[in-house]
Amino acid sequence: MAQSANTAAGQPRSSYIKWHQLLPWLIPALLIALWQLAVATHWIDSGLLPAPLAVVQDGIKLWQSGELPKNISISLFRATTGFVIGGLAGFVLGLANGLSHTSRLLFDSTIQMLRNIPHLSLIPLVIILLGIGEPAKISLVTIGVLFPVYINTFHGITSVDPNLIEMGQSYGLSKWQLFTKIIFPGALPTILVGVRYALGVMWTTLIVAETISSNSGIGYMASNAQEFMDMDTVLLCIVIYALLGKVSDLIAKALEDLCLDWKTKGGAANG
Amino acid sequence: MKSKRFKTALLLILLGAWLAVAGYGYTQTRPTTSKEALTRVVIGFQKGDIVDISRQHQVLAQKMKAAGYQVVFKEFQDGAALMTALKSGNINYARLGDAPPVVNQATGLDLIYIGAGAAKEEGTGILVKKDSGIDTLAALKGKRIAYAKGTTAQYTIIQALAKAGLSLNDVKLVNMDQSASSVAFAKGSVDAWVTWDPFTATAQINQNAKLLTNAKGLAKDRDFVVSSRRYATKHRAISKALLKYMSQDMAWARTHPKQVISMQSKMLKLSKKIMRLTVERRTFAMTPVTTSIVKEQQQIADVFYEQGLIKKRIQVKDALLN
Repeated sequence: MAQSANTAAGQPRSSYIKWHQLLPWLIPALLIALWQLAVATHWIDSGLLPAPLAVVQDGIKLWQSGELPKNISISLFRATTGFVIGGLAGFVLGLANGLSHTSRLLFDSTIQMLRNIPHLSLIPLVIILLGIGEPAKISLVTIGVLFPVYINTFHGITSVDPNLIEMGQSYGLSKWQLFTKIIFPGALPTILVGVRYALGVMWTTLIVAETISSNSGIGYMASNAQEFMDMDTVLLCIVIYALLGKVSDLIAKALEDLCLDWKTKGGAANG
Repeated sequence: MKSKRFKTALLLILLGAWLAVAGYGYTQTRPTTSKEALTRVVIGFQKGDIVDISRQHQVLAQKMKAAGYQVVFKEFQDGAALMTALKSGNINYARLGDAPPVVNQATGLDLIYIGAGAAKEEGTGILVKKDSGIDTLAALKGKRIAYAKGTTAQYTIIQALAKAGLSLNDVKLVNMDQSASSVAFAKGSVDAWVTWDPFTATAQINQNAKLLTNAKGLAKDRDFVVSSRRYATKHRAISKALLKYMSQDMAWARTHPKQVISMQSKMLKLSKKIMRLTVERRTFAMTPVTTSIVKEQQQIADVFYEQGLIKKRIQVKDALLN
């Protein structure tokens, strides 16, 4: 949204602005129209795949019964807590390993080993270690979020232009100043890419996490509906995930635009 | 700088709304249990099973509370997670079908049978499409059959094929979970599907399916309530109370099919028609595990061992507390 406003600023014709603002929604709208059409013309059996309208109705029904608001808010709580813990841990580890060679030798290969373990296979371990309550669900999200933030922080810090650091040193900057004025701002774009990616991972892990003895959350709603072939609700959950994904992406993008202001302005670091 | 202010505002509004909703979610996750000093008894169940009926009927929890125990029900989406939770002591009792206790005993889980449900032979069986032309068990030869590994469905299909004089190699068995099987069966990707109610009833009513055979004479498909030996040996009184009150709940369910039908159809979001078919062809009970039930379980264990599905020959009677 913010981006289209920027590009539109140079364009005098207002119709062009509108056109550009609508363009991102063209494909989703087309897909939904096609889907409705396919069901309406019985090209797809509505018993197997309900029409978009039926999904919306299901959503309204579940919202009125209080089930949907409850599940969305609980999922959001789990996702956010997991994201904050995992993101911070990933950031700190990435920072430490990016700055210290000893720390890198100590931690990096362990983290790389853990990174590729599928979350589904971690469930038994998580149950044994953390039980079946909220900590178990949150910890899975934490693990999922940790790695993208870690890798991007690490990569961002190690790939800061060494010439810039040298320049800073020749200006007599202290180590702390070197970090806050050169290394961190230089790494920030990459770190934020990690954050954006992690926000996506957060939702996909959550759906797995919410299959651990839960009776709430969107993941629970989805897997439960799936088991009993309640396709309306299955599709509703997919739509909710898509929307939540879009909202988290909007937040990440707004954050990126604000934090990386210095890049476009060419001014001093914004601290 | 208007755009920057707009972006900051957008960010703050979105973040604020996000955190507010998450905060509300946090309050929703807090348990609303009483603070009385009752012994907690945690029972794991799966949606729509007999424990779920007890939970909804609420009598079990009330009577256990009067006896000094606070019953906590924990819902699980799959049997594997349920077993892990039992193993690790996060739950004290679990409701399982007839095959999972056998499989788990063979993998070294020290489980104890606490009680057994009624046989559900009529709702379990092999589904085929009405127009498939498959009318006998022998006609299954060369067909693709969906089933779920380690469940009563696996036992049922082995027994059914044996009855028809076929071996497991004469058919193509496809291991799938219930939702995948349901779609595959509806789309015709598999020719037959071995499953249990309410999936059987759903397919019969919504998917133009018929029961090629039910499980009569093949399998019993009982429910079992199991615990771990560690817990069961120390808490005999709890097991006894649980068994007693659950059997009272089941007696209620037996005599109130109408209530059970509407309760279950709300719980599982399935039509009353489906639930009526399900409830009317089964009965509800919770009894101690008798010698004849042990024999049934032993047969499952022996068949699974012969087929190489479990690696150890087990004695089911070892999993009883006496």
